[in-house]
Amino acid sequence: MKFDNLYEELFYKSLRIRLIEKKIIELYPTDKIQSPVHLSIGQEAVAVGVCQELKTTDLIFPNYRGHAYYLARGGNLKEFFAEIYGKRTGCCRGKGGSMHLAGPEIGFMGASAIVASTIPHAVGAAMAARKLKKDQIIIAVFGDGATDEGVYHESLNFASLHKLPVIFVCENNDLAVHTHTSTRQAYKIFEHAAVYGLPTHYCEEGYDIIKVHEAFSPLVAEARITKLPQYIEIKTCRYLEHVGVNEDYDAGYRSVSEIEEWKRKDPLIIEKELIDKYQTTILAEIEDAVMFAENSPWPLLEDLLTDVI
Amino acid sequence: MNSSTDNNGLMKRFSGNILSYRESLFHAMDDALSINPHVVIMGQGVADHKGLFGTTLNLSSKYGTDRVFETPLAEEAMAGIALGASLNGLYPINTHLRVDFALCCMNQIVNLIAKYKYMSGGRFECPMLIRMVIGRSWGQGAQHSQSLQSFFSHVPGLMVLMPSRADSILNDYPYIINSYRGPVISIEHRLLYDVKFNIEQDSEYSSDKPLSSHLIRKGNDITIVATSIMVLEALRAAQYLLKNAGIECEVIDLNCVSHPDKEMIMNSVNKTGKLIIADTSWQAYGVCAEVCRIVCENSPNSLKAPVMTLGMQPATCPTAKTLEDYFYPNLQTLTDAIARIVCGKANHGIPLPDEHSMSDVYKKFKGPF
Repeated sequence: MKFDNLYEELFYKSLRIRLIEKKIIELYPTDKIQSPVHLSIGQEAVAVGVCQELKTTDLIFPNYRGHAYYLARGGNLKEFFAEIYGKRTGCCRGKGGSMHLAGPEIGFMGASAIVASTIPHAVGAAMAARKLKKDQIIIAVFGDGATDEGVYHESLNFASLHKLPVIFVCENNDLAVHTHTSTRQAYKIFEHAAVYGLPTHYCEEGYDIIKVHEAFSPLVAEARITKLPQYIEIKTCRYLEHVGVNEDYDAGYRSVSEIEEWKRKDPLIIEKELIDKYQTTILAEIEDAVMFAENSPWPLLEDLLTDVI
Repeated sequence: MNSSTDNNGLMKRFSGNILSYRESLFHAMDDALSINPHVVIMGQGVADHKGLFGTTLNLSSKYGTDRVFETPLAEEAMAGIALGASLNGLYPINTHLRVDFALCCMNQIVNLIAKYKYMSGGRFECPMLIRMVIGRSWGQGAQHSQSLQSFFSHVPGLMVLMPSRADSILNDYPYIINSYRGPVISIEHRLLYDVKFNIEQDSEYSSDKPLSSHLIRKGNDITIVATSIMVLEALRAAQYLLKNAGIECEVIDLNCVSHPDKEMIMNSVNKTGKLIIADTSWQAYGVCAEVCRIVCENSPNSLKAPVMTLGMQPATCPTAKTLEDYFYPNLQTLTDAIARIVCGKANHGIPLPDEHSMSDVYKKFKGPF
C-alpha cells in the first residue's frame, strides 16, 4: 500500500493493529479464542514507531503483550488469527497462542509469558550477531514490570560490558498487572539504566506515532554504525485490563482521568478523517483473516507429541 | 556443520589410550572449539587459571576470549543469553561449577529453553549444552552436593545426560555439539574427574547410539540399573559378588537419564527377574522411581523379587564426614542389597566388602571443591 506521507503510513499501521485487537474484543464472548489475551490497545504507537526502521534481518524479542509487535513487523495476519484460534495453520501451529507468537521470517523471535525472560535472549542474539559478524540490530522489548526482575539488570550489565548491538525498549505503562510503579520501584527506569553505562533516552509521548518514530529512528541509525547497546524508555498507556478484553476502571487501582487525558491525545481516536479513510480496507482484511482461522483445521493427536525435543 | 562431521573422531583418536574423565572433558571441549567455529564456552571459571577443573584450561588463550569467556555471576541471564545466542547461530556451552548453582537459572531452563521449540510449533530450535558438576565428599555439604537429574528430566523438551566414564563423554559430546539440534544438560560427577578409563573403540560406549543407555556387563542373576558414579560402584559390586559368591550381575549404565533405553531395561529384567537401581540422588520422585515405573508399566510380572533402590538418604547432605558416610550409598550397602535380593533373605551369609566411603576409594579428591 502506498501512502502520501510517513505520518499516514504510521497511522495506518497503528490503526490496523487497533482494529485487529478490537476484532478480538468482539470475538471474545463467542469463546472461539480460548486463551488469555494481553491486548496492546493504547500502546500501538510504540510498536509501530519502534519497528518502522527495522530490516527483516533485524531481530526483535517481545513479550506476552506482543500482538502489536508481531503485526508491526509484518507478521501474517491469517496465521495470527489462526494461532489465537488454536488452529493448525497458526504461526505456531496452535501450540503457542496469543502469548507465544513466533515469526522467524519477520525476525519476531518468540514471545514469553514470563516477565523479563526474553531480555537475555535479545542480549544473546546480539552476542551471536557480533561474533558471527552479522549486520543485524537486536531489539529487546519489555514493560516497566520487567525492570523489577533481576534478569533485566543482569542482561543490561552484560550487554554494556560486552558492547553488544542491542536496543532495549522499555514500554512504561506504569503498571505491573494492577500494581503501580510507585509501589514497586525505588528508581526512575531510564535514569537507573544509565548506571550500566548505556546511553539512555526517554520519550514521554508514547501516544504520538511521529514522536516515537523521531525518538527511535536515530537509535536505529546509530546502532547500524556503532553496533553499540542503547536504551530507551517510552511512556505509554494500557487502556484495558492486564489480561482480557475489558476495561477495568472501576477496579480503582488507577485514575480514570489519567487514561482519559491520554485518550484525548490518541490519534487513533481523534483523527476521524484518517480512520474513515482506511478502516474499510483494514476491516475487509481482518474479516478475510478471521474466516481463514475459522475454516482452518484443528491440530490433531498426531501433532501433540511433535516438536517436543 | 556439514553432514560429513565425524562424531567418532575423538573415540578413534584415543582408542587404546588411558584417559581420565577430566581429560576426556578437556578433549571434548578442545575438539568442539577446533572443529565447530560456532561453539562458545561461557561460565564461571572457564577462563581462569583452573579452567573449570581443568576441562577448559588454557582454551581461552588458544581460541580467544571471544569464544571461551568468564561470565558475571548471573546464572539466569547467562542461560537466557545462551538461548538467544543459539537462536541466532552460535552453539553455546554454558557451564556450572555445581549443579546447585543452576537452580538460579531454572526459569530459563524450564520455562524457556525446554519449551522454545514446542511453543513455536517447531519454528525455533535452540541447540546448546549446559554442563553441571555434582559435588561429593570432603565436606561439600548442603549446597555443593545436589544431584538434580530428576528435576531436569521431569520436564519435556530437555535431554539429560549423566556420563559415568571418559568414553561416554568422548562418544556423546561430539554428537551433541555437532549434530544434535536441541538443548542438552550434562550432569558430570566431580569425584569421577580423576578416575582413569581404558578407551576402547569397540566398547559398548563407542556404539552408534549416542544419547542412550549402555549394557556394560552381562549376567543372569540380577539387573543393576545405575547412574553416574554409581555405575562404577555397580561394576565393583558385580566383580566382588562374582568372585565371592558366584553371583552374576547385569549392569546397565542409564547414561541418558531423561530418555533411557526402556527396551534394554525390560529385556534385562525379563531375563533376570530381579532389579536394583542405584542412583546418585534421592530415591523419591527420581531416577529410582522412574525405572520402577518403566518396569511396572511394561512387565510387572517379570519381577521375581521386590525391587530395591539405593540413593542418598532423605535428608540434606551433611558436612561432617561421619554423617556423609551414612548419607551416601557405598560398595558395602550396594553389595548387601544385591545379595539380599538374589538370595531372597537378609541373612544371606555372603561376606561384605569392608570399604565404607567412596572417598576412601577415590582418595585423590582433596577439595576444596
